[in-house]
Amino acid sequence: MRLIRTSGDKLLFHLGQREKQALGVVLKLYPRIPSAHQPLSKTATLPDQDAAQRLLDEALAEQRAENKNKVRAFLANPKRFSVDEKGWRLTLSPVDVEWLLQILNDIRVGSWIILGAPEEKEEELNETTAPHIWAMEVSGYFQMGLLEALGKGG
Amino acid sequence: MPETATPEILPGSVQEEETKTNLDLEPGYLVICWNDPVNLMEYVTHVFQRVFGWRQKKAEFHMLQVHRQGKSVLVRESMEKAEHYVHQLQKYSLHATMERDE
Repeated sequence: MRLIRTSGDKLLFHLGQREKQALGVVLKLYPRIPSAHQPLSKTATLPDQDAAQRLLDEALAEQRAENKNKVRAFLANPKRFSVDEKGWRLTLSPVDVEWLLQILNDIRVGSWIILGAPEEKEEELNETTAPHIWAMEVSGYFQMGLLEALGKGG
Repeated sequence: MPETATPEILPGSVQEEETKTNLDLEPGYLVICWNDPVNLMEYVTHVFQRVFGWRQKKAEFHMLQVHRQGKSVLVRESMEKAEHYVHQLQKYSLHATMERDE
């Protein structure tokens, strides 16, 4: 994945055949972080903490549902991808980039949680772990591509 | 006409006193980001810039603090604002919480 050019408020990327395929497969994994996984506080020192936690969980669940529909629409939109000589062109707005970064990080962090949230980077590769390690690495790869396009990677 | 010495009231001094009183009454809440070995460093820096509007240098400082020390206190805010920031950071799947500043 590489940025070809920015034009107005659009960013134009080139993706190889396998990259496009991998992006589609990995995005379909969204959402990966279990619902109600994120605590508002580590200590019980907030007033009405249960109610505040419930509100946060509800807000995140609502957002997750909305994002799931957006991922489906993103992959189904024929204007999003166009064929070029060596693969595909992907057109994104800065808002799309920001949204995709969030989606990809959910998949990356969620896959890591499924793996047992290991402290060490190297996870044993076997039949069970391979799909999750793949999802982590592929989502990270696309995140870096987007961050580099924003001038923040590498 | 001689000048008379009257107690000087500087503009804003009354308001400042009131503000201090309000701050004393309202406890502060710390927004903390915790280390997750899975998050990309560039991504965390980017999120801090987006959520807090920080310059890259400040965002990198806090990202490195998270990475090296396991956590970083990002801001101290009222409860409402702290909740807002935690929600924003969690939208990006960062491990963020708020704790009462004792």
